[in-house]
Amino acid sequence: MRHPMLVGPTLALMAGLGAAGPVAAACDIDARGEVNIVSNFFPVLELIDQKMEECETAELTIENKLTTDHRAETDRAFEASTSPYDAAAVANSSVTMLQAKGQLRPLNDLVDKYRDEYEIEDSMLIRFGDEVMAVAFMANAQHLFYRQDIFDELGLEVPQTFDDVLAAAEAIDEADIVEYPFGAAYKSGWELGNDFVNLFLAAGGELFDPATGEATFDSPAGIRALELMKELTAHMSPNALGIDFGGVRQQMQQGQIAMAFLWGDQAASMDKPEESTVVDKVAFAPAPSLEPGGPVATTFWWDGYVIPKNADGDADTTFRVIMAALSPETVEENNDATLWLRTNYTAGRYSQAIIDSVNAGAPPYPMEPQADLAHGALGDNIGDFLAGKESAEQSLADAARAYRQAATDAGYLK
Amino acid sequence: MKTKTFLGFVAPSVLTMVALIAVPLAGVAWLAVHGSYVQTELVEVTTEVPTFGGQTSVRTRTVPQPVLDENGEPITVSEYVGLDEMRAAVDVDGLQSAFARDRSDRTALAATSSLYDDVTNLDFWGALEFTLLYTFGTTPFVLGIGFFLALGVNRVTERIRSTLVFATLLPMIITPVVAALSLYWLFIDDAIISSLLQSLGFAPFHFLGSEWTIRSIILFFGVWSATPFAFILLYAGLQTVPQETLEAARVDGASRWQSVRAVTIPHLAPLFAVIALIHLMDAYRVFEPIYVFGSRVFASSLQYLVFFVLAFQDNVHRAAAYAILTIIGVILLLAPVVWSTWRHQGGSNR
Repeated sequence: MRHPMLVGPTLALMAGLGAAGPVAAACDIDARGEVNIVSNFFPVLELIDQKMEECETAELTIENKLTTDHRAETDRAFEASTSPYDAAAVANSSVTMLQAKGQLRPLNDLVDKYRDEYEIEDSMLIRFGDEVMAVAFMANAQHLFYRQDIFDELGLEVPQTFDDVLAAAEAIDEADIVEYPFGAAYKSGWELGNDFVNLFLAAGGELFDPATGEATFDSPAGIRALELMKELTAHMSPNALGIDFGGVRQQMQQGQIAMAFLWGDQAASMDKPEESTVVDKVAFAPAPSLEPGGPVATTFWWDGYVIPKNADGDADTTFRVIMAALSPETVEENNDATLWLRTNYTAGRYSQAIIDSVNAGAPPYPMEPQADLAHGALGDNIGDFLAGKESAEQSLADAARAYRQAATDAGYLK
Repeated sequence: MKTKTFLGFVAPSVLTMVALIAVPLAGVAWLAVHGSYVQTELVEVTTEVPTFGGQTSVRTRTVPQPVLDENGEPITVSEYVGLDEMRAAVDVDGLQSAFARDRSDRTALAATSSLYDDVTNLDFWGALEFTLLYTFGTTPFVLGIGFFLALGVNRVTERIRSTLVFATLLPMIITPVVAALSLYWLFIDDAIISSLLQSLGFAPFHFLGSEWTIRSIILFFGVWSATPFAFILLYAGLQTVPQETLEAARVDGASRWQSVRAVTIPHLAPLFAVIALIHLMDAYRVFEPIYVFGSRVFASSLQYLVFFVLAFQDNVHRAAAYAILTIIGVILLLAPVVWSTWRHQGGSNR
């Protein structure tokens, strides 16, 4: 005899299972097999993951692995004899080394075949020479977030240069309203290198000599960038060398800092009532520049998908799944999630600052494989200067040595 | 027993060890003495990148591009490089320039200190410095605190003893990454411990602010997570201490502490040696706290170097070189302990 208490939940469970079964309607891909994708982990990618899962049918399984360690996985997977992943989400910096090793499958044929069906726009294609290496869907850049209410209270103007930022930080320090006037992701490693590269490129520096590949960041522009970073850390939490973007976002959301240098696609999270205590108080401005009227200190990023040559799945199916998730409908339904690259996207409050930064001269993040190695070497070594352990010249020299070793091992230098 | 029977018993585990330990080790050693890369040449390439709203950014740069063979596949070069990779890992060039610097105008102490700073500035040696500090810094505490915990739990009533043992084992059960993350979140700005300390009147505590604080926290983490291991082994060992000798000592008028010192500790000496051995091996491979706290600037470790080179520079050969150096380090570290244990065993058996 069935226990009466169990009948209800059992029915509910069965109904739930039934409802969660394959819903192929929105996607309509008539293929069999498996599609495995690896990508980074942030809200927009989670959204795209959901869209891809809508394509799942009884015959087609779609597995999307979202992890912040995606780069390590992607590099290893694409180097193996067969890749466990049929596609990977990449950005400017991660695509260059994959492309330089010849591991990416050109997508020209697939783009031509499905151009009409999925309304693929030219502005979504990343080309190296004639070959389409990646399909991009969003653009991003870091810019200034600031507390409009604090600025109004103290009568401060929106900072346009880093001198303005430092002046505003002093004023906020004196007023003692928040714990720290400024916050930026200075975590030793990728984040720290990223901040340096932003400032360095705006100071007119070149990471390396294009003709020889030798490091050229131990230059006056590099010293200038480092000294500015040091001045900024005086207004940041002393734990700055351990805080990453997620941490700075939380600092801003919890009202601990008055200004922050964050990714454009984190703008919407400032107004999420379940996370943020400063809803409707945060305004956005383009990244500051070093000189009045000079190039802004930020770089422009795109995120997209690539397909490796050594995938064991069907590239055709994989491509269709990706493009189905990146459809115009996705953009329309989620317009404010990020800065979409489709033409039917309408810029809103959260993305205007990115657009303004690009219009103010933000370059795309350098798409050369050596830039990636330089970035890593810098991120690993300039922390010593910011922690006060050695001079700026010494840390840049250490970074240049580390870069030289890495580039020689990779075969870019002899 | 007969040799054949002995071999028959031992064969499965020996084969498994060969397959799972010796073969991968040989593989890593092979990687450490070879180098490989995709052959590239500098080519002018035009990249087209979309900005937004239908615009694109076109740039022409000279970049390394893969050299293709007849089939259109990139050519990968793999060559034997001997000890070059290991030499680069140990940074012989860096050492030479550190030693070659002119310090004649300083006192001996200042010159040595400056040399030490220069040497630890090099990736490998800085990592080695903290790894050794961590290894030797945690071992005495692990042994000492573990022993006192074992003594204490041994004296507690039977009823709550098992609960107490379980509670003491918890730090060892928790995955190191999770434990390190929890510690990170306890100390980061405005976290529980930071706020608590501030409300108690201490100055704001920034664990990443200076070398001492971050190193202390990592050492604390090391002791906290390794002590249960020492505890449980010593607790088991305490059960084997001969009761008659203890009673005899008590009858002779020895205090508790004196009987512990004269009877228990000598009896457990081999156990202490084993625990020290295993902990030294474990501590030498410290990685999780370094990675989670992002303490690279103040505290690095050899294992972290392996990870960093592998994950961010994609350099399997350099990582293999660091791994081999780590193994050599562990062998050097353990050699004295193993030697003295061997001699002790051999002496008592003869």
